[in-house]
Amino acid sequence: MPENVVELSGVWKVFGERADETIKAARSEGIGKPEALARFGTVIGVRDASFDVARGEIFCIMGLSGSGKSTLVRHVNRLIEPSAGSIRVLGEDVSAMGKTALREMRARHIGMVFQHMALMPHRSVRENVAYPLEIRRIPKSKRWAISDHCLSLVDLAGYEDRLPKELSGGMQQRVGIARALASDPEILLMDEPFSALDPLIRLQLQDQFKTLVRDLNKSTLFITHDLDEAIRIGTRIAIMKDGVIVQIGTPEEIVTAPADDYVREFVQGISRLKLVKAHTIMEPLNGAGLPEGAPRVDGERDLDSLIDISVETDGPLVVEEGGVPIGVISKTVLLRGIQGGR
Amino acid sequence: MATADPEGFGAAATPETDEATGPASGGAVRDIEVDRAALEASIEGFAGPRADYYAGAFQRIHDTTSGVPRTFNTAAFLAGPFWAAARGVWGMFWAFIILEIIALVQIGRGTWGQLGAEDLAQAERQAERAEEFLQRARDAVAAGEDGTRFETLGNNLLRAAERSREAADAAAADAMGILFGGLALLLVLRLFQAVYSNIAYEKQYARWRVDPDATPSGFSTRNIAFGIALGAAIIPLTVYRFTIEGVPGWMTEFPADPDIYSSSARWLEAAIDDAARSGAGAFDGIVLLVRQILDAISLALIGTPWPVVMTVIVVVGWRSAGPRVAIFTAAALAYIAFLGYWEIAMETVALVGAAVVLCVVMGIPLGIWFGKSKRAYSFAEPVLDLMQTLPAFVYLIPIIAFFGTGNPPGILATIIFGMPPVIRLTALGMRGVPDSIKEAATAFGATRWQLLKDVELPLALPSIMTGVNQTILMCLSMVVIISLIGGGGLGQVILEALQFAAKGPGLLGGFAILFVAMVIDRIVQGAFRRADQKD
Repeated sequence: MPENVVELSGVWKVFGERADETIKAARSEGIGKPEALARFGTVIGVRDASFDVARGEIFCIMGLSGSGKSTLVRHVNRLIEPSAGSIRVLGEDVSAMGKTALREMRARHIGMVFQHMALMPHRSVRENVAYPLEIRRIPKSKRWAISDHCLSLVDLAGYEDRLPKELSGGMQQRVGIARALASDPEILLMDEPFSALDPLIRLQLQDQFKTLVRDLNKSTLFITHDLDEAIRIGTRIAIMKDGVIVQIGTPEEIVTAPADDYVREFVQGISRLKLVKAHTIMEPLNGAGLPEGAPRVDGERDLDSLIDISVETDGPLVVEEGGVPIGVISKTVLLRGIQGGR
Repeated sequence: MATADPEGFGAAATPETDEATGPASGGAVRDIEVDRAALEASIEGFAGPRADYYAGAFQRIHDTTSGVPRTFNTAAFLAGPFWAAARGVWGMFWAFIILEIIALVQIGRGTWGQLGAEDLAQAERQAERAEEFLQRARDAVAAGEDGTRFETLGNNLLRAAERSREAADAAAADAMGILFGGLALLLVLRLFQAVYSNIAYEKQYARWRVDPDATPSGFSTRNIAFGIALGAAIIPLTVYRFTIEGVPGWMTEFPADPDIYSSSARWLEAAIDDAARSGAGAFDGIVLLVRQILDAISLALIGTPWPVVMTVIVVVGWRSAGPRVAIFTAAALAYIAFLGYWEIAMETVALVGAAVVLCVVMGIPLGIWFGKSKRAYSFAEPVLDLMQTLPAFVYLIPIIAFFGTGNPPGILATIIFGMPPVIRLTALGMRGVPDSIKEAATAFGATRWQLLKDVELPLALPSIMTGVNQTILMCLSMVVIISLIGGGGLGQVILEALQFAAKGPGLLGGFAILFVAMVIDRIVQGAFRRADQKD
């Protein structure tokens, strides 16, 4: 089993008849979206995107509307055909799959959740969740049992025989998640699943989802336009703009070292307290002596907990890793660190 | 060409928009100054020649607070509709050229028209006749008979001739009045155009700002030439026709050639005959198939003892639409049975049933296809329109030629009329299925067949059901018409009653059809409402 469940390299998606010419021109001359539209009448949806999703991680793709993130994620289960590049899912080349193999992969290995739920209004909640199994011709008794189990995972036990329209938006989306889990896939594709919900329900579902995915050990590709959401649930985040992946990194990397002004502008409003670790802001020892009686903290502690320790003492804090001191954090450094290293 | 180049428009229009928003960004709304220079530049781009005048006029229109802006366009006053043509205001051109023709006809009649010519001719005829009668009266007196009868007639006619002559004189005297009336109308029309032209032109300018390519702008000599050519073609002939008595025949009657008609009718007839002969096997096959379906349904409805059929229908009504419809159904069936229409009404139901079955069997797959393929639908749409708009009497004739007469051809005619709704509404329903749900099913690995069976058809079902219901009603409405080509059932009763103008039988049969239609409609609608509620 490969360590990466999804591997995309050099994926392009150009909408329009003259896609190949556009890619050639974009590669050699670096033409952008407006030039492509003017010269070839094509729209560049995804531009040379490469990333891997490791087993068990939640990989967030964050971007504003029109940035190509939804287009990109649909390449993974080939709802959209790539114009160029290679896509491997569980080590297999998706582009090379025949019709049957593709259907098989979609049904067994990938579960998908959609922004607008996309539940079937004429089927009960249970039969909606069971539909992926019905496609695979699993007998009714079995699929009803699995369906009920999946609904209990998302706290919807007791709603099995309702119609989707009788449920609230948050509950409907939980049905969507249960449906994605029904065929016990390795990979979950989440296309802005919580965007249409109100903020409180969204927070609740984010936490619930994070726990659920960890417990079931799923690998997730999560699309969102909300950086807060991406930071809250993402193991790693890719930031997309105009079809290009601008930066890939952990939430801390994105916040502390934005790749360009675009990302910087985005992370400005993000609270660093829970993200930034002690070893990121500390000043190295440089052979100087350790301050007497200073509290010792682990390098992996976040700023939030450093504040708690710092208010108890007058002096600096000593940062250590595996019991070995590696740096110090004075009050000034801590305050500047909270501010963002200015 | 007099139209300004498009680049000129762009150059004039772009800075204007920038500057217009400039002052608005600072200060209060009431302090905003009108940026006249930018507007002027834009109007110049639109109007072309005499841009200064139109810039002033448009600004006055923009500034006006009363209902009618006070602007007077001398060019429009002098040239009338031809100004409108030159400026590309074609709506105004057509409206006013027609109104001005009315004025011109009046002027023509007043100037050289032979007013009262008809009355004068009549007076002369009457005088002649009077003279004839008086002569006969004189002859009678000379022969020693009583001539008073002829004399009275003659005198009456003389008086009538006098009145006609007076009318002719009065008409001739009216000529002056008509002339002045025409001149006054023309003047009023021109004044109106002079005031209205700038308003209309300003509206066109507003449209031009939105869509400069599709809206005519500037002064176009080609347009004015076109306008004058149109005027030259229309005005003289029309004025001549209405002012001169006894115009030549070619002016009022189209020189149609009867040979064209007869030869094309002959050709068409031969073509249809040939097609009917060469395709006889296929057409007979279709008739046979339809007959078999019809016979099966007829056998079930007529062959089964009437108490059984009646009970089944009433129970179906009860199950699908409730007790009230069941009671109504029972009453309607009793009416039909007591008047002796039972068998013939069942034949009607069988005819409609066979037509509906065929419509649904062919229509739903076609609808699914048209719903999925936009190209196929764009080809089919005009055909469907034709099927629905073509009067039934028109296609009855080719149906007779190809399929003969009787019930099966009647069913085929019914299908032509009844199938479009189920096709259309199935296609509509298919297109109305949300893409997101289809995408979800695909993402879970559904095949195309599973997608159709599990997602598209269930979601399109309400629309399809509406289509089937409409098709049933359309088929019912054809029941009487198909009796013209030998279709049986209640339609035949009506047709016979119509031929003998038999009021009683006609009405009784008419009510029988009404009840059949109402029973079917109630039951079907009730069943569909149930199905809707289940969703």
